[in-house]
Amino acid sequence: MESLFLQQVLNGLIVGSVYCLIAIGLTMIFGVMRISNFAHGDFSMLGAYFAIYFVLFLSGWAGWVGSLVVAAIGVGLIGFFVERFLFRPLLTRWTDIDIIMLSIGLFILLENGARLLFGATPKMIPDPFESKTINLLFFSTSEIRLICLLFSGIAIFLLQLFLTKTKTGVAIRATSQNRNAATLMGINISFIYSLTFVVGSALAGLGGVLYGTIFAVFPMMGAVPTLKAFAVTILGGMGNIRGAIFGGFILGVAETLGGNYISMQYKNAIGFVIIILVLLIIPQGLFGGVEKK
Amino acid sequence: MNRRPVKLILIILGILIVLALPFIIRDRYFQHLLVLSGIFILLTSSWNLLAGYSGLLNLGHAAFFGIGGYSSALFALKLNLSPWIGLPLGGTVASIFGILLGIPSFRLSGPYLAITTIGFSEILRLVAMNWVSLTRGSLGLYGIPPLTPFNFSSNFSIKFVSEQNAYYVILVFVFLTLVLLNKLIHSEFGISLKSMREDELGSQSIGIDTSRYKLTVFMISAFLAGFAGSFYAHYVRLISPEMLALSETFSILTMVMVGGLGSLFGPVVGAILLTFLSEGLRFFEDFVKIDIRFVIYGGLLMATILFMRNGIIGLFKGVGTSKEKQPEVKG
Amino acid sequence: MKASALFKLFLLVALCLTVTSYGTRVRAAEPTIPIGILGPFTGSLAFNAEEMKKGMMLAVDDVNAKGGLWGRKIELIFGDTEAKPDKGVAVVKKFITRDKVLVVGGGYASSVNIATSEVCQNEKTPIVVAIAISPTITNRGFDYVFRTSPNSPQFLAGVNEWLEKVKKPKTVAFLMENTDYGRDGEKIWSALSNKIGAKELAHLYFEIGDTDFTTQISKLKELKPEATFNIASTTEAALIQKQAKELNFVTQWIGVGGQFTEAYFKMAGPTCQYAMGSSLEPTLAMKNPIVADFVKRYEAKYQKARPGIFSSQGYDNIMVIMDAIKRAGKPTENLQADRDRIRDALRKTSIELTQGKIEFDKTGQVYTVTPSPVQVQLVDGKPQLFIVYPPARAGAPYQVPLPWDKRK
Repeated sequence: MESLFLQQVLNGLIVGSVYCLIAIGLTMIFGVMRISNFAHGDFSMLGAYFAIYFVLFLSGWAGWVGSLVVAAIGVGLIGFFVERFLFRPLLTRWTDIDIIMLSIGLFILLENGARLLFGATPKMIPDPFESKTINLLFFSTSEIRLICLLFSGIAIFLLQLFLTKTKTGVAIRATSQNRNAATLMGINISFIYSLTFVVGSALAGLGGVLYGTIFAVFPMMGAVPTLKAFAVTILGGMGNIRGAIFGGFILGVAETLGGNYISMQYKNAIGFVIIILVLLIIPQGLFGGVEKK
Repeated sequence: MNRRPVKLILIILGILIVLALPFIIRDRYFQHLLVLSGIFILLTSSWNLLAGYSGLLNLGHAAFFGIGGYSSALFALKLNLSPWIGLPLGGTVASIFGILLGIPSFRLSGPYLAITTIGFSEILRLVAMNWVSLTRGSLGLYGIPPLTPFNFSSNFSIKFVSEQNAYYVILVFVFLTLVLLNKLIHSEFGISLKSMREDELGSQSIGIDTSRYKLTVFMISAFLAGFAGSFYAHYVRLISPEMLALSETFSILTMVMVGGLGSLFGPVVGAILLTFLSEGLRFFEDFVKIDIRFVIYGGLLMATILFMRNGIIGLFKGVGTSKEKQPEVKG
Repeated sequence: MKASALFKLFLLVALCLTVTSYGTRVRAAEPTIPIGILGPFTGSLAFNAEEMKKGMMLAVDDVNAKGGLWGRKIELIFGDTEAKPDKGVAVVKKFITRDKVLVVGGGYASSVNIATSEVCQNEKTPIVVAIAISPTITNRGFDYVFRTSPNSPQFLAGVNEWLEKVKKPKTVAFLMENTDYGRDGEKIWSALSNKIGAKELAHLYFEIGDTDFTTQISKLKELKPEATFNIASTTEAALIQKQAKELNFVTQWIGVGGQFTEAYFKMAGPTCQYAMGSSLEPTLAMKNPIVADFVKRYEAKYQKARPGIFSSQGYDNIMVIMDAIKRAGKPTENLQADRDRIRDALRKTSIELTQGKIEFDKTGQVYTVTPSPVQVQLVDGKPQLFIVYPPARAGAPYQVPLPWDKRK
């Protein structure tokens, strides 16, 4: 039984790491701009499709790494325009509900637009390792999954460095904590908004490439990561990046262990049950979220 | 010239048309859409009570609809209960779940509440999918009996299977609902709701027990949605887990936003318009040969929020609705 | 704001469009033969519905090119069910009342078709279901309901015979889609396992749209079943194969036929080697001249696209409908009489098509089509499907799945 338990933990960590990347973007955007973007998962989907098309030009290792770069830049760019022309005008005028609903509209638009543009047939981002299996002492997995886990870790680490050690990064965190004070300190809020949204979306795009490599790429693929990302974000506390990181792994492992020991049928419900329980007891999430506007 | 008689005549004309509609347009598909619109009016109005009047964003509304439908269907199929009783009973079961969902709303708001409601709805959908012995799983419950006929004599009875007769039944319920909601909004309860929506902390400070209010609106809203679900179950004669999907809630939401959030007739307009638009778009799709329906909905929702925040009713702000400030929904 | 004024105008126009589209439907100048076709043309099953449509258009374009029937063109009216029963009901009502179709065809997924067939029965309009395997569709005594696809017991009969007589596994497990598609098969295979004395080690499930099966597969790996029953559609099935490899899990996978689509082979690649199912894939029966002809014409029309099971089922479905219409006679002014005649003609159907011979039993269920147990085997590193039983029809002998490190 030992090895099954560890195997499931590893499974959970791998899946969790992908959730993390996507959730971090979501929580950053919420923290700085108080935007709950229900279309966030669709940015992952777009990132995955960027990769699908890019690897048609360049295959193998170079292709995969290149597709990560292309996805990040491409989705970041799309994020820039979405923020500037859709969300920004709304920020001063309306309230939470409007933003949520705008993002729901965007979600419906992107999902179905993708189906029309890319076709409904599911695809996969080719694995440069060709699903080669690694058998370790207590568990097995594939090389590419480990690479993805590693990549997520590195991306998260670099992000943390950026946020703590660079001036811009600190400015982002400051804006997240207290926008008015940040303005008074001379931080260009408009620039921070754009940057945060771009970085958050780019992270989602990266998550999408990983997701499309480990799993599959299809137009509807954004829905589930969106919900999981929200679950993770709320678990960790909205706006709290560290919370999102822990939350991602916790959710991933909770799902696999819950599925294994409690019920496979309700595996997808586990995430929701956890959030509801957490929220009933600790409304701000495990690590505390940012204050509402 | 005095405008009042003209307005009165228009209103009476409107009522006559609504009453005679199934006889004017005999196309059964059109009548089916009328009945669906009626069901959606109940759904949109009840959702509007939460989001528009109380500032509570409920993204799990479809769950109430589904609970009502499944309950009433099961009562009829397994306990041989008359569907007429099943209607309010289904609503009641849904309102119990409404109370359940109301409790988290005491402390949660905004995206936190939204996600909780999504979680609630998704968990129930999975239950409907997997509790096969009760719900037949993804196959759904079919062969649900229709509303039992009124038998007046051995020769004459009114059945409720046809679209036409179902239309009149739902018309009655829609009318009752609108009357009820209108009274509610203009009562002291409604005014307190509004103050709670605008400033929760402030209203608590003047002694409004916001928890009790939240629970009550969740209960009423869920009852109406559950009632709509029960009616649906006995009209379409089948119900399946898809009725609890998020996409159903998104449809309701779009209808209310397009129609006009926070007004009495906004949800009515939205429900009718979008039900017919969605079917009308099928013809458009046949014409352009692309499945563009959903892209248009998404775009419509976004355009409404960006350019027409108060919906269609908001465009006609001076006519028929009160001149108060449009609601700023905090959620 | 100018944009908002424009938008108001748009809404007004939409309103008008909506209202006016409810005038009489604009029909072609000459009368046609209208047939309503149901299918999930949007949503996650859309690509399979597309395949069905392509198969149908091949048949219809052919007939229309030769002048149609009685000088009238066959008109297929497609209705999107979104894979939801309530939308299916709305669409089929539209077909029957507004479009005045003679007969309804197509249809994919049991839950939707149980609902739509009930409506058709109530409205006395014949419906011929194309792709749905729940037995319920044809066992409610509805005389207007027919089905050109085998139901689940029939589908599995071929594999089951092989399991009983050849493989005889001692331990089995189940990894099923939590829909009626999955659960119906589960019931049948559970009964079979009981019969042959195989121990059922686990019953695991997943939802359509799930992408991570490592939890379930890890559990299975621990239990080591000889055979694992797996009912899934293309995406899930391919992912399961891939993840089984990644987790180093070996078993004899046994599924149904619907998963072995082109997309499945593209996604799973060589990892799906040894997977088995029960299939009506047309390319397996190329010795049959009817099938070979179909495949050739399909590839010619759709630029080298390979026809799969859904294309051939779509093709057969519309061919049966057109054949019945032909035998029923030229449509008259009396729609109900026409529909009744078509229903009677359908009962007497006996036609050779790509799935084999199509004849309906008393309940409207086709009983003459026999799917064969197939296995994926690698030919030059590429996965191909072969019939492995009975020996008379087998294209290749059965191969026992090797451990991953011994493959290739």
